[in-house]
Amino acid sequence: MLHGVDLDVWPGELTVVLGANGSGKSTLLRCAVRLLDPDAGSVVLCGAELVGARGRELREARRQAAMVFQQVLLVRRRSAVENVAYGALGELPLHRSLSSRLFPAELAERAHASLARVGLADMAWKRADTLSGGQAQRVAIARALCQRAQLVLADEPVASLDPRAAEEVLVLLGEIARVEGLATLVVLHQPELAFRYADRVLGIVSGQIVFDAAPASLDEQRVAALYQGAVT
Amino acid sequence: MSETTVEGTLPGRSFTRPRSVRRRLLGVVAVIAGTALFAHAWRDTGASFTSLFSGFHNTVNLLGRSVPPDGSVLKDSIRASILTFDTALLGTAGALVLSLLLVPLAARNITPHRFAYEAARLVIGVTRAIPDFVFALIFLVAVGLGAFSVVLAIAAHSVGVIGKLYAEAVEDMDMGPVDALRAAGAGRLQVFLHAVLPGIAATFTGLALYRLDTNVRSVLYLGAIGGGGLGFLLYNSLQLFQYQQATTELAVLLVLLLVVERVSLMIRQRIV
Repeated sequence: MLHGVDLDVWPGELTVVLGANGSGKSTLLRCAVRLLDPDAGSVVLCGAELVGARGRELREARRQAAMVFQQVLLVRRRSAVENVAYGALGELPLHRSLSSRLFPAELAERAHASLARVGLADMAWKRADTLSGGQAQRVAIARALCQRAQLVLADEPVASLDPRAAEEVLVLLGEIARVEGLATLVVLHQPELAFRYADRVLGIVSGQIVFDAAPASLDEQRVAALYQGAVT
Repeated sequence: MSETTVEGTLPGRSFTRPRSVRRRLLGVVAVIAGTALFAHAWRDTGASFTSLFSGFHNTVNLLGRSVPPDGSVLKDSIRASILTFDTALLGTAGALVLSLLLVPLAARNITPHRFAYEAARLVIGVTRAIPDFVFALIFLVAVGLGAFSVVLAIAAHSVGVIGKLYAEAVEDMDMGPVDALRAAGAGRLQVFLHAVLPGIAATFTGLALYRLDTNVRSVLYLGAIGGGGLGFLLYNSLQLFQYQQATTELAVLLVLLLVVERVSLMIRQRIV
């Protein structure tokens, strides 16, 4: 359940959301692109109201935000570069999107460039189900880049990765935020990673944002209390 | 060494849970009802051990008159077996196309509207409920004698069977890639083509091949009622007491069924 969440995230900034299980972190991200329908209230994403939006209007609004999920949600039987290009499906006319062979050459170039950006240029033709967890998550980030969204929403993107791959993914998300100028909102369960990589940290308890501060101004006790639901 | 005493009731000595009188009575009633059902079926079908034994003598006699096989019908049998396969192939392909059009509506997790879901499920339910034999009788009248009416019958019935299996496969699939593409702003058809179809392509192909295998067998008996092919030849030979011809046709039939089954199994093992 979310209560009165009003959140601005800025281009070039990596914002991390921390909170206990069930606090509403994933709900916040899923509502933001209306993968979940809120019971009441409104969802305004990049100036567009999502509640009540249907068809083309909803798809246009969703294109402004790219999602990176906790479980790497790639199409397993397709190549890495095809998966990256899927990020731009929404901008293609129907007749150019019926098969990946019909995708425009410009999109193919963009997909390869996005893969190169995440350091996987040589993995372009590998099937998604043959990639390691870290590589697959980087492909998902490349897909977000290929989407040319204004906002990247990452829902526990390092939850299933080993510590080294997790650091690589967070470094990459930070670079994307700063170099590409994207607003990046990342849900994490590891406060230490938030302190190290975030420009801004949000704490969420029972669907309400209880603090919004730079990592340097936060003390560990306040964050620890977040996981006991004691922050007010 | 300390001694521990355990007090209380000893556990039971049986592996089965004690049953109430009501449950025991229900068990007795179930046994009586089951026995009555089988007794009725035995009487209704005129089953008898005497017929079984006298039939055995007739079968031995029939086998004696069936050898050696008549090689003069080999060419016709092979041609008819190809027609049988072609009929099954076209019927299955028609059913596949129609099923793929129905699946986006008939799978609860991707259907655009409840009304579309109910309508698609109704089509699937009705076509599945009507046997291919009944469809064949209808199409033999509507289109005329020949293999094409069997193609239509096979297609019509298989839409229900394949459509149901495909819709259930989609409902059981991992929705992750679907959510990922929806979140990126892809439309329904784009999501179906690029996330749903690749996700269950192996299941779809496996089911289609299995259905082709089943349909080859169905075409055989539908052929006997006017659909042509190997079934028709075999039926005629038996009606005209040409048992040596029937042996050749049965041998070709066996080869056809084995080849279709083996090839379909090989493909399924490679892709699934």
